[in-house]
Amino acid sequence: MKTFTRIAVAATLGAVMGTTAMAEGLYAPNLAYRTGPFAATGIPLMNGQADYMNMLNARDGGIGGVMIDFDECETGYSTEKGVECYEKTKGKAIVTQPWSTGITLQVLPKSNIDEIPILAPGYGFSPMADGKVFQWAFNTPLSYWDGASIILKYLQDQGDLSGKKIAFLHLDHPFGKEPLPYLEQKAEAQGFELVPIPVGLKEMQNQSAQWLQIRRERPDYVIMWGWGAMNAGAITEAVKTKFPMENMLGVWWSGHDADLKIVGEDGKGYKSVSWSFPNPDAPVMADVKQHVVDAGNSQSNEEEMQGVFYSRGLVISAILAEGIAVAQEHTGKAEISPADLRWGLENLNFTEERLEELGMTGMVPPFSTSCSNHTGHSGGWILEWDGAKFVKASDLIMPDSEAISELEMAKAQEYAEANAPWPVNEDCEM
Amino acid sequence: MLYRTAGQFKTSYQADQALFPVRQDAFLLAVILAFAWVIFPLMASEFAFQTLLIPILIYSLAALGLNILTGYAGQLSLGTAAFMGVGAYACYKMVTLMPWLNPVVAILFSGVFSAGVGVAFGIPSLRIKGFYLAIATLAAQFFLVWLFEKWGWLYNYNASGAIQVPNLEMFGVYVAGPQASSTVQYYVVLAIVTLLTLLCINLTRGNLGRTWKATRDMDIAAELIGINLMRSKLTAFAVSSYVVGVAGALFVFMWRGAAEPNLFDIPLSFRILFIAIIGGLGSILGNYLGAILIVGLPVVLNTLPEALGIPISSATVEHLNIMIVGSLIIFFLIIEPHGLARLWALIREKLIIWPFPH
Repeated sequence: MKTFTRIAVAATLGAVMGTTAMAEGLYAPNLAYRTGPFAATGIPLMNGQADYMNMLNARDGGIGGVMIDFDECETGYSTEKGVECYEKTKGKAIVTQPWSTGITLQVLPKSNIDEIPILAPGYGFSPMADGKVFQWAFNTPLSYWDGASIILKYLQDQGDLSGKKIAFLHLDHPFGKEPLPYLEQKAEAQGFELVPIPVGLKEMQNQSAQWLQIRRERPDYVIMWGWGAMNAGAITEAVKTKFPMENMLGVWWSGHDADLKIVGEDGKGYKSVSWSFPNPDAPVMADVKQHVVDAGNSQSNEEEMQGVFYSRGLVISAILAEGIAVAQEHTGKAEISPADLRWGLENLNFTEERLEELGMTGMVPPFSTSCSNHTGHSGGWILEWDGAKFVKASDLIMPDSEAISELEMAKAQEYAEANAPWPVNEDCEM
Repeated sequence: MLYRTAGQFKTSYQADQALFPVRQDAFLLAVILAFAWVIFPLMASEFAFQTLLIPILIYSLAALGLNILTGYAGQLSLGTAAFMGVGAYACYKMVTLMPWLNPVVAILFSGVFSAGVGVAFGIPSLRIKGFYLAIATLAAQFFLVWLFEKWGWLYNYNASGAIQVPNLEMFGVYVAGPQASSTVQYYVVLAIVTLLTLLCINLTRGNLGRTWKATRDMDIAAELIGINLMRSKLTAFAVSSYVVGVAGALFVFMWRGAAEPNLFDIPLSFRILFIAIIGGLGSILGNYLGAILIVGLPVVLNTLPEALGIPISSATVEHLNIMIVGSLIIFFLIIEPHGLARLWALIREKLIIWPFPH
């Protein structure tokens, strides 16, 4: 029992000291995962994010004259560790980047109380787009429902969907189930048959049962909502069962270069929707190389830096940096508060000109946010694997915003009711 | 010295059988309770509440439930997490169907459901033993998690398949949900854990506990001296699952705030089994020591480099952490294979006879 008290005293001391150790600058923690089963897909993203912030610190001395204290807290994609990281960082953080739908769902209800914006670019809960209800959460530039809508639109362009059969291969997890309400609604409206095929977390690497079902069902298309080890598992299984790769499409998290390099040429024709695209000639890449890589401050490597995920990491940090810059301009002070950052993220305006100024032309579609629209619905490209890398296979496709926003509002309302009392943004007139 | 028992005479059987035959034990416990009830809540930060105090208590309670079954009655179980899930989902259904229900009552009542499920899955224990029983409880683990995923009614047909804890009020104070303050939640958890611990201590010391121990040590001999094995095993399953179910409800309602089905998958069962084994099977105190080692220590180790100002990346800390905790587990099991509780018992014994070795 003495050990109990001793450890507990040490623990409380540690906790108290941990929260008092303040660093200079704006503290922007990232709940990263470089360990665990999802590390392979996490590392390039985390590297991209860190490199962009390091580049800003080295090139411009931070943002608006304040250094960005970009810090990582390791979660290993575990929700429990994620909450630990959230509690650890929230005292001085201006933003939370939860990096998993599970952690986002956990942190989301606390955002109204702690008043720290959650930045979840391209993941999290789709209804977060309704900024009036989810005042503190942002999932720029596209939500999962947008992604599903873009995929359906692209398929519709390839031939009428009515009477077709679409298999929806997804991770049996909040993340994988996200697009289901939208897809179900569309299946009814457009007259195609939707076959949801869940992949349990334990079956990620061995999907023979799921692909047997796909062979039996003979779907016209397979839409995949996979992450981590599931992507490589599904793609190798598709190649093995000789499923026509050009009829397989994935969400943006299923478009990782390393997953397709395993199958190489055999994966030719596989497509993935994306709101980011690597542009090796972009000025921002040269700046990262000069200020971060050549200075030896990057954990990345040449091959990884050309991939889709690394450049997505850069875009994610650019969104955060832009939010900080907008907030600084609006408030006129450099040391902004979390509430100021929320204003900044609500007033993002990524025009073509602004993207050119940032040196990111072609890396992300232009989009803007408002107090009622926390997503921006930028639209996305369909990328296609050509055997060695991803190339653009379509122009920018815009999501079917009308149907989505209706569904978003309904689901957001449902969430607010289930979590009453839930304050909504009454001042937002849009 | 500190533990001198000289002069503490027992003049009745009752005094000899008391919960604390040695006065210093009672004193030590009073100090710990004072820390738990008064000093920690006054000192602790939000971080300490959410990552140390509350989870350690909840994990201890879950391990306590498992310890009754495995440590006292000798029935190995690998389905703890699933029974926790039953408690959590039962509590969720109760508070959403009957919003007027007092949340603490709902939590305590949700254990009844997991007790029922536990008894149902405990029936095979009448025929099979040891590792074979572990396989049967493993079936419960897989079946129940599958059920949590497929039975939409359980999570109110939520699109994401997860359950979210609503804001729950008790006497005008929020006790669960995002609006609840950590201090309130800590006190609710502490009160329930204290109550159930007291209950379990007395159960294991009483008639029922002795039948469990007899069943554990040699079931044929137990049967020969007139113990009804069926009753003994099934009561162990019932009490154990009840405690585990309450721990599961606390786990989701007082700490996590949301849960998806795979949270209750086998890694959680193993984690609780490890807490019980490292703490010491067949002991109450051991669950707390085990939970401090397995749940609390990694959190403290994670904050150390930053607190000491050592610049080291968080991924490296995580790797180091896994190595340190792993080797500590091995170290403790080598110096005392019967767990931390036994280690404390030995230290205490030495202190009582100090300074004389015999």
